Amino acid sequence: MEYELENSIIDKMQPEFPEAAFTIKKARRVEVKMSSDKLYNFAVRMQKKWNFLHLSAISCVDWLQDNEFELIYHFWNYDEKVLVMAKIRIPREEESHFETISNLWQPAKFFERDIHEMFGVYFDGSEDMERFILTEWHGPPPMRKDFITREYALNFFHYREYDPEWLKDMTAAGEANE
Amino acid sequence: MSKIDEVRDYELFIGPNHPGIEGNFSLKLKLLGDKIVGAKTDAGYLHRGFEKLMEERLFIQNIAIVCRICVPDPDPNENNYSRAIEEIAGIEVPERAKWIRTLVLELSRLASHLFAIGGHAATTGLYAFPNWTIADRDRILELFEELTGGRVYHIYQLPGGVRRDFPDGFEGRVLDVMDYIESRLQDYDDLAINNALFIKRATGIGVLTKEQAVSWGVTGPNLRACGVAADVRKDDPYEIYEKLEFDIPTMTDGDAYARMIVRRKEIEQSISIVRQIIDKIPSGLVWNKIPNPLKWNVAAGDAYVRTESSKGEYAYYMVSDGGRKPYRVHVRGASTTHAVHVLENLLVGTRIEDASQVMFSLDGCPPAVDR
Repeated sequence: MEYELENSIIDKMQPEFPEAAFTIKKARRVEVKMSSDKLYNFAVRMQKKWNFLHLSAISCVDWLQDNEFELIYHFWNYDEKVLVMAKIRIPREEESHFETISNLWQPAKFFERDIHEMFGVYFDGSEDMERFILTEWHGPPPMRKDFITREYALNFFHYREYDPEWLKDMTAAGEANE
Repeated sequence: MSKIDEVRDYELFIGPNHPGIEGNFSLKLKLLGDKIVGAKTDAGYLHRGFEKLMEERLFIQNIAIVCRICVPDPDPNENNYSRAIEEIAGIEVPERAKWIRTLVLELSRLASHLFAIGGHAATTGLYAFPNWTIADRDRILELFEELTGGRVYHIYQLPGGVRRDFPDGFEGRVLDVMDYIESRLQDYDDLAINNALFIKRATGIGVLTKEQAVSWGVTGPNLRACGVAADVRKDDPYEIYEKLEFDIPTMTDGDAYARMIVRRKEIEQSISIVRQIIDKIPSGLVWNKIPNPLKWNVAAGDAYVRTESSKGEYAYYMVSDGGRKPYRVHVRGASTTHAVHVLENLLVGTRIEDASQVMFSLDGCPPAVDR
């Protein structure tokens, strides 16, 4: 049977999360969509029961049209060699909130901190939500889709006239292109 | 109480410009005498906003961006990025291109490992060793220059294959370089790896247990140095790794010395992989034509692709909304765990002279942390 391993994983998980929608994307990639309030319980079972010990990453996608953020948790199982992507959607607000899983996985600390910084999603219960990369940034979270880099730059910075003496001479002599 | 007794612990900043720091990266250490009691990493000096930039560029334009995410080991980025598009758009890659990609990935791993073991030995005072390994790495960069036109950034792997085939006689020159590097391994062992000074400095430094390593998200050579035989090339095979024979070297000590040994053994494995590829590579096309890249609407979808880079698991999560530009590209560099939380945890309890060594032994890559 094709995707035997992936189907066995789904058969294990489906009874505990009957509302979650499982799909097999390809070999060793299982996708599951669930409501956001189920995610923490799912993560606990992933780690403690189903042996998905490696949290590979947490990705965030800004769906501006739906006014939602999508969080994708990538879990990897070292024994069965399967990656499960748990996808949830949370409302997109000025500062969205979601619960942390950093008490379960230490790497989640970095990913959550990164998402907070870039998308403005605050993870309640995380020890460290300080800025990491953009320590001197005062604008809105830059990875949001409604943050237009060029527009922000034009509003925030100003063009300055640059007309030094040495360039005037060159322009007059026809050596520099305006 | 006199003034001197009040000043018990103090803070010390190392970096961002410091010979004991990899790249532009900084550490804020809290010290008690010369013992580190607290550490905080401070990144952001290399933040170029690539993830945002990629959303503003055509799919094809981003290939010149992704390789810059990790400077010493750029090819896993190109490979991940191309494979993600191929998976979303359903593009087939010719067999020969897959072999060439694997060759490029392994050469890149070799170059990066030579850099890493040299840098690690230098942090213990063996300054001759990095001069040797970097000079030897240059021979691999020359191969890259011949094949791709670029020494460091190759911009070589595209959706659908690779940019060009081998030049005439290239296979022979690859084998010559492999023979040369293999002949140097004994010298490496004599100078650094079996050097009593290095063994004394590196043993027992930055010890990770198996359980810690797994729960802290450690991957790659750092994880294998703790006794976990996990490797994306074996566990989640991509390109043609399933058709190749190679071992996964492991150690059980989990200290800086074990990490050095794992990298040293992986160099041998990579040489063997390169030889197998040159021996068995099939002939044929190297690139399947893709739609006009300037007007290419990639089908809507998402993909999570993983590569075993020289530093560990390297993954890309790509989302396409059916447009000409990627909707979202999330880069999961191997160093996002190694150079941040793992480093902070391992530094506590070591002495200040070993701070650099712990960092280099984890082989963190600051540009991949910042993106």
